[in-house]
Amino acid sequence: MTHPVPHLTAETTVDERIVYLLFEKDKSGISLIFDHYGSFLMNVIRKVIYDEQMAEDVLMNVLLKVWQKFDQFDAEKGSLFSWLVRIAKNSAIDKTRTKDFRITEESRRGPELVNIAEEVSVDSSIDQMYLKQLLDQLPENQRELINMSFIEGFTHKEIAQKLDLPLGTVKTRIRLAIKHLRAVV
Amino acid sequence: MNIKEYISSGILESYLAGELNEVEMQEVDRLAGIYPVIKQELDEMRESVSSYAKSTDQQPPSRILSKALDAIREDEKERFFAEIESSEKEVQIQRVNIVPVWSIAASILLVISLGFNYIFFTEFKSAKDRADVLQTNMESLREEQTILADLASDQKMELEYASLRIAHFLNEDNIHVRMDGLDVAPESFANVFWNKKTNSVFISVDNLPEPPHGHQYQLWAIKPGLAPIDAGIFDHSQLIQELKVIKGNVRAFAVTLEKEGGSPIATVDKTFVKGFLKKS
Repeated sequence: MTHPVPHLTAETTVDERIVYLLFEKDKSGISLIFDHYGSFLMNVIRKVIYDEQMAEDVLMNVLLKVWQKFDQFDAEKGSLFSWLVRIAKNSAIDKTRTKDFRITEESRRGPELVNIAEEVSVDSSIDQMYLKQLLDQLPENQRELINMSFIEGFTHKEIAQKLDLPLGTVKTRIRLAIKHLRAVV
Repeated sequence: MNIKEYISSGILESYLAGELNEVEMQEVDRLAGIYPVIKQELDEMRESVSSYAKSTDQQPPSRILSKALDAIREDEKERFFAEIESSEKEVQIQRVNIVPVWSIAASILLVISLGFNYIFFTEFKSAKDRADVLQTNMESLREEQTILADLASDQKMELEYASLRIAHFLNEDNIHVRMDGLDVAPESFANVFWNKKTNSVFISVDNLPEPPHGHQYQLWAIKPGLAPIDAGIFDHSQLIQELKVIKGNVRAFAVTLEKEGGSPIATVDKTFVKGFLKKS
């Protein structure tokens, strides 16, 4: 197998950097994935696993699998993101087949979601503080949509049900929320 | 394809939210590969959601990463050991597989081999014994040969000396002086041949006692009214030796024992042999 990313330059994208590092069997590639894709992967997992602790276990497992199976990644067939999402989905589904999962099945989403934010360590760099202030400009309903869709693992359908809105409207509003977010960030 | 419409369809948001199935995701990837605008849109969207998650403390807890890294390290260790074990197992399996099929043949071969080993060993041993005897014989023969050779060369040397001595005796140009032992060593004697033509002096060491360590015999020519003239030091072990050239009115020859290297003045009281020239 030839090296997919032979050299790192200033223009190297995050994906290329990750591929380079993992090809070199450098664990910092895993850290980069966690940093850039962690919330997306957690979102994907939460769509299947509602128990927070279990979702965390699955994400941990995903990172391990990425490390073990990185030689199976083929940039020709799709992006790194797609590959990661596929592993996350499969891992989450695998988890639902375990006895461990069935026992904790009852604990449905709800109060745990409140806990997520509390558990996370607070990064109080100036950039982050500044960003927080900017995010305050985002309307509450748009924030809720972003949270539900990109963080908390709600499917668009679930969001539509929860907010009692048509699916199309949900999609449009998510798009608007993202547009707004990008303007702010 | 209308890219703007595609982007505004909300498919990219669905892509990032993990709403799309595998085929749909691949399609987005394919288009992102063709249209940089789509790729850029995706990247920017992803970055802003990522920043949002971080700044709202909604990133997954970092303990997940540390646990994952621990698990990776553990996994690497296990793989390492598994690799070692599997290579060990392979060796063992090979050994086990061979046993039932080949054990009988191997046993037979072993027995035959042992038989041959015994025969060959016995033969080898007797051959070796014979060789040892031959070796001993050869060695003693060689020793005898050496002794004989030494003897032969000694005899040859003696013969040469003898013939040389005879030649000196027979040489009509030589004046022969027999030196007899004095009080120090009455049994001693030696002969001097003084060539009248060349004036060279030869000594025949016939019977002189072994000189003590650090000493040598020295021949002197004695002329009337003069101190003895040095005719040369000589090696006690050599029978016939040519010494110095002596001219003039020599009356007698004498041998004294001197310190190694000789002496300019004869130590007269250590005269071993002495002989006068016959008056012609």
